[in-house]
Amino acid sequence: MSTTTAAYAAPVVEMTGITIEFPGVKALDGVDLTLRPGEVHALMGENGAGKSTLIKALTGVYQIDAGRIVVSGAEHRFTRTRDSQDAGISTVYQEVNLCSNLSVAENIMLGHEIRFGPFINWPATRRKAREHLALLNLDIDPSSALSSHSIAVQQLCAIARAMVVDAKVLILDEPTSSLDKAEVAELFDVIRSLRDKGVAILFVSHFLDQIYEITDRLTILRNGRLISEHLTKELPRMELISAMIGRSGEALADVEERAHRVASEHDEEPLLRAVALGRDGSVEPFDLDVHAGEIVGVAGLLGSGRTEVARLLYGADRAGSGKLTFDGATRGAAPLTSIKRGVAFSSEDRKKEGIIGDLTVRENIALAMQASRGPWRPVPAKELDAVVDRYMKALNVYPANPNMLIKNLSGGNQQKVLLARWLATAPRLIILDEPTRGIDVGAKAEIQRLVAELAGDGMGVVFISSELDEVLRLSQRVVVMRDRQKIGEITNGPDVTSTTILETIAASGSAS
Amino acid sequence: MSTVQTAPRASRNPQQGKGPRGGHDTGFVARLMTNPVVRRLSDRRLLPVTGTLVALAVILVVGQVRYSTDRRDFLSMRLFSNLLVDNSYLIVLAIGMTFVIITGGIDLSVGAVVALVGLVVAKLLIAGAPLPVVLILGVLIGTTFGLLIGVMVQYFDIQPFIASLAAMFLARGLANVVSVQSLAIKDEGFAALASWKIKFGEGREAWSINLSMVVAFVVLLIAIYLLHYTRFGRTVYGLGTGDNGTAVNLMGLKGSSTKVWVYVISGTCAGIAGILFALYTKSGFNLTGIGMELDAIAAVVIGGALLTGGGGFVLGSVAGVLVYGLIQVLIAREGLDSWWTKVFIGVVLLAFVLLQRAMTFRQGRGAAT
Repeated sequence: MSTTTAAYAAPVVEMTGITIEFPGVKALDGVDLTLRPGEVHALMGENGAGKSTLIKALTGVYQIDAGRIVVSGAEHRFTRTRDSQDAGISTVYQEVNLCSNLSVAENIMLGHEIRFGPFINWPATRRKAREHLALLNLDIDPSSALSSHSIAVQQLCAIARAMVVDAKVLILDEPTSSLDKAEVAELFDVIRSLRDKGVAILFVSHFLDQIYEITDRLTILRNGRLISEHLTKELPRMELISAMIGRSGEALADVEERAHRVASEHDEEPLLRAVALGRDGSVEPFDLDVHAGEIVGVAGLLGSGRTEVARLLYGADRAGSGKLTFDGATRGAAPLTSIKRGVAFSSEDRKKEGIIGDLTVRENIALAMQASRGPWRPVPAKELDAVVDRYMKALNVYPANPNMLIKNLSGGNQQKVLLARWLATAPRLIILDEPTRGIDVGAKAEIQRLVAELAGDGMGVVFISSELDEVLRLSQRVVVMRDRQKIGEITNGPDVTSTTILETIAASGSAS
Repeated sequence: MSTVQTAPRASRNPQQGKGPRGGHDTGFVARLMTNPVVRRLSDRRLLPVTGTLVALAVILVVGQVRYSTDRRDFLSMRLFSNLLVDNSYLIVLAIGMTFVIITGGIDLSVGAVVALVGLVVAKLLIAGAPLPVVLILGVLIGTTFGLLIGVMVQYFDIQPFIASLAAMFLARGLANVVSVQSLAIKDEGFAALASWKIKFGEGREAWSINLSMVVAFVVLLIAIYLLHYTRFGRTVYGLGTGDNGTAVNLMGLKGSSTKVWVYVISGTCAGIAGILFALYTKSGFNLTGIGMELDAIAAVVIGGALLTGGGGFVLGSVAGVLVYGLIQVLIAREGLDSWWTKVFIGVVLLAFVLLQRAMTFRQGRGAAT
């Protein structure tokens, strides 16, 4: 792969041409990954890029459809997690996948208990567990229940478990997502000492700072394909982000002239105002104003806290701090209150949180409208028919049959029905989380046009999308998110390009 | 590198509260709290079992105070001997049920299996089949039902409640097919087994150990070995974590086969209990054991197992059965209608479930901070 390979020890893991297909999707398509002893290797990519699938191929959770996995020179076909563990590959999964009702010692040693004849020798097993904990500088009682410890300690217990087998390869899937700064530092100390002992470590994290701090080399995936492998220190942050999201900064800058609408001066009160709104473990406190007739874009990589912002604004999650006012009045924090006061939220996960597949298009449209009226006052059939008819025509829903089950519609048309559902409640503010994800170009343009029209009619819009040029094309102001923080707000103008946003994301990272 | 010092967050560890804070704590309570046995019993995981033991002690004390006469103490070997004679089948059922409940499942079929096994044993013995073959067959009927439920739960992803409900109807129906009348067992060998006992003491103090007690004791020892000294047993607990076995499987343990095995164990215990019940009543009857599965579940819950899975001890379940049996004895001694037993069991069960709820609540709050 790279010419510098020779300078390093022989790889301990070589995955070549790994392909995994799920019904209808190629989750991985000919991906290569090489891990060398004594090296921390980052696996980079946005959600859905195939990182987790690749890890699960290596740990035997998924079976590969094509490709080769060579561990320490021998080719393996893993069919069970046990096979992979026997080959010296240990994994610490994103969620702490241990049994919280068992003791620390049991969680660390299960599968490798010390025996006395047919019996487990508990005192010896606990002693051994204590030794492994000591290697990680963790001084806790091995017989205490795992659930009595903090997530960070549980995470370290998972690592201790991974090291019991004398692992040659340690996979850490988002190990830091639930840790605070001091705990992360502690974890990194442990990772470094393991690295120095010659363990190959595969590290996955959304936090770019951590990638640059701890990893030596990185592999970038996008849409289930291998993009490239680099030495971490040789790859500038900007290029890393571009490679992950699939557009180079220069190419993005060339995007044709957009119809920028200069943000009008807003003297009047904003429609929605969030002051220091935040929630522990979800998103750091942020300020946000949305005026009537304005489209505010929210940009950032996946996992940067975009959806969390939307959920807080809508009241789907209860805010831990800060104040949210709508139309000058403090808002209650429940979805139903939001609907009644004229706020609509079309969520990111169309299938799970949006449509109800086994109901018809007509019923799906009626949902939010009915919710705002309460269960005892059904929407009169005639009125509903009129509403359904109007929006299906206005949004060009195809096929134009209100009695079809919505699950049989294409993604783009499902999205339009969802829009219709919220427009039927006549909202004054609409929050759209990834309204164009996974739908074709034509439908995408149609939805963008609709959003612009709605704002033109005086509706406030919060527009969230991972496609930067889409955000830039539509919004007057762009809020930039990173690592669950609002890191900036850019007023859109002719000289603002996606490069500007990428630079904002990258710059604030190196500054911190 | 610094050292991570982490105390368990829920600071209910008696050591912490009762440290050398001054002069007043060196008294009885402090000494009591540092006693290793007391410390172990006040561990959060053991708290429900401690509750059961306390309940057991309270009942025994009440009985001793109210029913002892000058000539005879209430608390005696005879009391326990009788208690075990009357309840050893229930102990075996509760032990099997404990395995299932620790994984977060349930087995409703055991009462019906007890009836079916009793009838099959009676029918075969009347037909003249050899006793050892009949007994083994009886146990295997239970095993088969357990396997059926286990396979339905694990490989067809059917709710344990529904799978075992289906098995319950099946077993009860088959019992009715075998006979709708009570079949008395007159086989000599069987009668000899039923009346076999080792006697101790004389006169009023006389007590004995019978075959059912021995069987129940052996089952108990095997269960303790399996649950506490094997990887299988730890996997049983791991399955009760409430994540559908994800953690167990990712840890490289055999989650799926373990899930089948717990039902096989419960079914086998039901088969054994069926034979013990036949020995106890010397007959088979198709209406035997209606609601017996609920008695077993109640005993397991009183014994401190969490119905949501993940916690419980076979010894606790045995204590649960004893509480159950003692309440019956007390009601009888009071001369109350036997229906009062159900009322008291209901009250005790409610109290234990509330205790568990309070504990999981505190646990949840602990995790949030």
